Amino acid sequence: MDLSLRPGTLRPALAGARLAAPAETEIELDEPDLDEDIDVELERPWIVLVWNDPINLMSYVTYVLQKLFGYSHEKAESLMLDVHEKGRAVVSNGSKEKAELDVFRLHEHGLWATMQKD
Amino acid sequence: MVFRFRRTFQPKGGDRFVVNLGSEERAVIKAVCEDLASVLEDGEANPGLRRLFPTGHATDPEVDRQYQAMVHDDLLSSRREVLSAVGASAERDELDRATLEQWMVGLNAVRLVLGTVLDVSEDGLPDLDRDDPEIPAWAVYEFLGSVVDAAVAALAETLG
Repeated sequence: MDLSLRPGTLRPALAGARLAAPAETEIELDEPDLDEDIDVELERPWIVLVWNDPINLMSYVTYVLQKLFGYSHEKAESLMLDVHEKGRAVVSNGSKEKAELDVFRLHEHGLWATMQKD
Repeated sequence: MVFRFRRTFQPKGGDRFVVNLGSEERAVIKAVCEDLASVLEDGEANPGLRRLFPTGHATDPEVDRQYQAMVHDDLLSSRREVLSAVGASAERDELDRATLEQWMVGLNAVRLVLGTVLDVSEDGLPDLDRDDPEIPAWAVYEFLGSVVDAAVAALAETLG
């Protein structure tokens, strides 16, 4: 299969991609399983979760966690592997305001994050 | 894909990075950023944009509503700013750290949209016929993945 980049193939590709997903089509994404108990030892009121997704690169997720939270490479990689292998990981916690800001920064970087009361 | 002897983003000290990309690749980078920016102008109803505006709380609609009301405009303007910055710097031979991070985030956003529309799974590239109409989009998706990965490698190795 020829996956080389050719001039003039990009705009039709994106246009086709847009046509392939009309507004009334519901795109199936695996929703987080909400019935699972999130087993955390933290006593803080809000936690921020990052969920596994098939698009973000593992190296990218690790780097974003290092950059946003100041985690070491080892800690960020360990959280990324939890996300990848267990489907999710708690990446931060704190007040509702802090959780909102953290979720926003994660969303800004394209990670699939949610907040919830612990 | 293109076989390289040089790294796509070569750190040269002082948080500067030399960009080793051809003019055709740069044209693709500029075009995808302009395309996504123009799609964003059409509004966010396109389900392909879903990953760019995710829910903030998975089970509590009221918390999510508050979150969306608070962040939506900031998230949209942040995406526009990043895409515009990448498009404007696509032809540069050298990038500073902040701009390379914008490349990483902006091109990743394009991957999120393409990946959503292509219904990417953990299995990677599907077995496509050689004339499958999705092949150009997959080529762009794979190319952008290699650029994002190269940007992450250069940024991670020079993280202060």
